[in-house]
Amino acid sequence: MSITNKITVKRAEIAVAVILALCSIALMIKSAENRITWNAEENMGAGFLPFYLSLGMLICTVLTIIKFVLKRSPQSKDDSPFIEADAFKYIAVTIISLVILVLAIGYLGIYFSLIFFLAFYLRYFSSKSVLFISVFSLITPVLTFLFFEWLLKIPLPQGISEPLFYPVYDFMYS
Amino acid sequence: MDVFILLLEGIFVSFEPLNLGLLVFGCLIGLFVGAMPGLGSVNGVAILIPITFIIPPTAAIIFLAAVYYGAMYGGAISSVMLGIPGASTAVATVFDGRPLAVKGEAMTALTAAAVGSFVGGTVSVILFTLFAPPLAEVALRFNAPETFALMVMAFATFVGLGGDDVPKTIFSILIGLALSTIGLDLITGKPRLIFFNIPGFLHGINFLVLAIGIYGIGEMLWTLEETKGKVQMSKLSVNMKEVGRAFGALKKTIMAMNIGSFLGFFVGILPAAGATPASLMSYGITKQLSKNSKEFGSGVPAGVVAPECANNSASTGSMLPMLTLGIPGSPTTAILLGGMILWGLTPGPLLFTQEPEFVWGLIGSLYIANFFTLVLNIALIPAFLMVLRIPFAILAPVIFVLCVTGGYAPTQSLHDVWLMLLFGFAGYILRKLDYPVAPAVLSIVLGPLAEKALRQSLILSDGSMGIFFDMAEKPIAAIIMYIAIVLLIMPAFGPLYRKFFKKAQTT
Repeated sequence: MSITNKITVKRAEIAVAVILALCSIALMIKSAENRITWNAEENMGAGFLPFYLSLGMLICTVLTIIKFVLKRSPQSKDDSPFIEADAFKYIAVTIISLVILVLAIGYLGIYFSLIFFLAFYLRYFSSKSVLFISVFSLITPVLTFLFFEWLLKIPLPQGISEPLFYPVYDFMYS
Repeated sequence: MDVFILLLEGIFVSFEPLNLGLLVFGCLIGLFVGAMPGLGSVNGVAILIPITFIIPPTAAIIFLAAVYYGAMYGGAISSVMLGIPGASTAVATVFDGRPLAVKGEAMTALTAAAVGSFVGGTVSVILFTLFAPPLAEVALRFNAPETFALMVMAFATFVGLGGDDVPKTIFSILIGLALSTIGLDLITGKPRLIFFNIPGFLHGINFLVLAIGIYGIGEMLWTLEETKGKVQMSKLSVNMKEVGRAFGALKKTIMAMNIGSFLGFFVGILPAAGATPASLMSYGITKQLSKNSKEFGSGVPAGVVAPECANNSASTGSMLPMLTLGIPGSPTTAILLGGMILWGLTPGPLLFTQEPEFVWGLIGSLYIANFFTLVLNIALIPAFLMVLRIPFAILAPVIFVLCVTGGYAPTQSLHDVWLMLLFGFAGYILRKLDYPVAPAVLSIVLGPLAEKALRQSLILSDGSMGIFFDMAEKPIAAIIMYIAIVLLIMPAFGPLYRKFFKKAQTT
């Protein structure tokens, strides 16, 4: 049995509800670092709203769990895979490549990271030629640079590649 | 008369070169995002908001409203040609649009959709022009308690009318509100919910991070899973004879146009509703009232006109509470509302007196956008069909690039890009388990405004919650609050009603 068949909608429903319940409890504990009381003299403590909102979230997740146990929600009776096997590849590769992209942005800078991300993604999922992929992967970061840095004047992160852009900035602002 | 003069001024504002250029560009982008499966008005507006930072607010709202409007038209193209709704707002268009295309009458379906959208859009803009000024005048008398009550009603509408699982809907509202409390406390200035002492949390969570995460990353993951890039396009012959025949078929759709236009507008005003339920309701009612109700689903133009009229009408309707009350009527207007705050404006009735150029420029632009989108839609059908052939494997990474840069640009912090990814993945999983995501986006936008109104109200009442229920002192706030309570408890009566109805039927 493959991993995608093991993770059924039913299992995902209960796992997610439990995780959300734990997150709600964590939020309540974190909120309690500030005053969570409210009275006419002192008005509302900084932690009051987040605490009671998290408590509400916890109650909702508990209700979801109760509905699951009583088999009152459609998901509690659904044994189909949470993600179909043929779609799993798309989702997993996309998520991993996005995480690597953001990690790389912090180090390599956005423009070089985008080149690698686009080249990998297009090579992996599309049947386009190497020439098309190369041109596309190079043009997109160039357009991104022109749009953000030249038109909007918003600098995007450049990481270790920053010195390579100094001549371009000299040209742009001279 | 005053309204007429203000409207004319607004139309002149939208004819200014920058505004007109952005309006046409916005319509084109809207048609494109609407037509692409997986992208809709809400995705387009969320991803494009960061690029509006360098233009004046009036031009920005005209551009984004045109994107919103265009997407309502564009959604029908893929519904008819691919059998996949371009956006959720065009789901009902598939019911009859696709069978028409399969029968070889795709041009009739596309023309019916475009003309229906135009009629719905025009009727709703006229209603908008008539209703907005008096509603804004009433709203000017609102103070903090009334504002807070209105926001509670907006949240309650999701519970009462949203139709989703109630605990999951309330969870979505509460998590949006809880996320909006991250950062510095409004009154005491104390830091709240600063996880692991990461400084990035001190400036709070920008609504765009959540919106782009959910509607950009999350939606793309959803679409990748749904389509896997495999779509089947119908054949289309475009010539004057086909177009003439298509217009001829519209004679029998007058009732659908009326239902779609008026129903769509009023459903659009409701915060939880928006264009998707409006189009589904319009289709259902038109089918019920039609003499040929049995033919619906097999390819009748009225089945295309009804939802298309309604979704355009609802999109305009949803802007009415956004402009007059500061309460969004749909997820897209929630993002537009957040945009207004980013541009330095205060959403609500004061806009009508303090920023008339902004308000009337937007209203005027809706008339112009409606016309331009109709022309562009019909004229560019062959071009959009070419665009629809772009494999999703190419489109998806481009959208991801836009999401990453759009998530970074507002605060220029990589911390926000990480959060955006997290929200995208979480949104994708939660949506698969039927957690509605729109209430979370609405809540994160309205959260800070609701908290401010709540705390101001409590200061006014010396800490008494009674201020929201006092019919003598604050009748408007009390009435709104009672409506909200009814909406909140309404789902509890659903099973009882069904049980009673079943029993009555069997006896």
